[in-house]
Amino acid sequence: MTKKQRVAIVGLGYSTVGRDTGLDLNTLTAQSSVAAMQDAGVKPADIDGVVVHSFPHQYVSATRTAATLGIPDLAFWSGSVDGAAYMMAALHGIAAVASGSSEMCLTLRTVHRAGAAGGASMVPGMERGVPGPFQFSMPYGAFTGAHWAGLYMQRHMALYGTKEEDFGAFAVAQRDYAIANPTESFFTDPLTIEDYLNARYVAEPLRLLDCDYPIDSSSALIFTTEERARDLRQKPVFIDSWGMGTTEHSDFSLVEDMTQSSPFNAARRLWSKTDLKPKDVGVAGLYDGFTFIAMQWLEALGFCGLGESGPFVSAGNTRPDGIIPTNTDGGACNVGRRHGANFFIEVTRQLRGTAGDRALPKRPSAGVVSNAVGSFSGCALITAD
Amino acid sequence: MTEQSAPPLRPLPDELTQFFWDGARDHKLMIQRCSVCGTYQHPPDVVCHACLSFDLGAGEVSGRGTVYTYSMSNQAFHPSFADKLPYCIAVVELPEQPGLKLLTNVVDLPPDGVSVGDPVEVTFQDLGDDMALPVFRVVKP
Repeated sequence: MTKKQRVAIVGLGYSTVGRDTGLDLNTLTAQSSVAAMQDAGVKPADIDGVVVHSFPHQYVSATRTAATLGIPDLAFWSGSVDGAAYMMAALHGIAAVASGSSEMCLTLRTVHRAGAAGGASMVPGMERGVPGPFQFSMPYGAFTGAHWAGLYMQRHMALYGTKEEDFGAFAVAQRDYAIANPTESFFTDPLTIEDYLNARYVAEPLRLLDCDYPIDSSSALIFTTEERARDLRQKPVFIDSWGMGTTEHSDFSLVEDMTQSSPFNAARRLWSKTDLKPKDVGVAGLYDGFTFIAMQWLEALGFCGLGESGPFVSAGNTRPDGIIPTNTDGGACNVGRRHGANFFIEVTRQLRGTAGDRALPKRPSAGVVSNAVGSFSGCALITAD
Repeated sequence: MTEQSAPPLRPLPDELTQFFWDGARDHKLMIQRCSVCGTYQHPPDVVCHACLSFDLGAGEVSGRGTVYTYSMSNQAFHPSFADKLPYCIAVVELPEQPGLKLLTNVVDLPPDGVSVGDPVEVTFQDLGDDMALPVFRVVKP
């Protein structure tokens, strides 16, 4: 048996990004891959694992990507279409390196803006009758993530007294981080709570400013063993623990408890496999496909109590001097939909000490990242050397 | 009936779901029920989640429920909803079994709107072509 390896992050890369880049999925994927290899200082022949997570209707093949990049032989690959966005690619890659299945694994998430939100365009022939599982949602006008998001927010508000201003406070705090990240953020104008409350509802209580910003993007990270990491260009950071989780019901609108969905299971697993505690974590990258998702993670990971994320956020606890600085790159609401990869990239930069102007007042020694909510999700704990 | 900007979206029943839509056509709320252990489940699935029996039937439920959560949809993602804005998407919990829920609409909203925990009862919205959609309205005290 191969001994269990300690896993390091050694390379980070983004593609050209934008509302409409005009670049196809394979080009975007190659761009982020090359950027990550350059960041790590590795060549294609050094890589023996490729993992991609895709939307089924925007599929990117791991083996084709390897061929495109001139990787001669893969010891491990995986093409996930099921689950928690980039987190799936990351955790498959991490598990591959930890188990010795791959020595150096390239992990990818590539997304096109057009059609990414799914919804009406996703069911061909629906005008003649909505088939499959969507027959119980689309005839009721429930088409997209925004529709279940509004339901999750309302339930939290009803149970715990969370206010619309609390979700707004999260959006405002993120925007302040985005302003300090002008090269990556699409939004650098100051945002106030009043601006938030003036934004239109998509699915009340969900407003436009609760939603991430759809773009074309590809993101890549390279994972390898500690031994290999020591010889590479960047100061490595290490994966300390991780967890995935699901719920009994696979339908996001019908999970048993919307205020304690799969992140609570994933977070419990993460903490059960480490000696670290929430108080040891100095930075977080929490998925903000919708603002409330990051807030559910604050509760699930134990940064605040159950139901308390609203007042916790409104008190400024996700800001640089707060209890847990969160989404310091501006989050997906501002840097656009990188589908979870930006959290790994930004937390790694904070731990490496390469976050530039966004470096936190106190350099963290540990950070946590998360992806998704509802029926499936995952999270990982990353430590500085 | 109000003028439609596009015909309403209708479900396409399949082997698994035919009983649900046949029931709705007859103004009955039918939920899949295990013939062995009696557990309800929704949406219908191929095997009983509780006992793994493949012997699944359906049972008519009372049509009462409570609002687990809801949201007011303000954007039409399909043209058939353009003249309905805002419309109420809700999750209703049925009293027949803890946690038994369905996604639906609450219609005929009272002036002060709907709230989590409100009692509701099923009603049926005609979709044409001999089909109907089970939806709910608030039960006045």
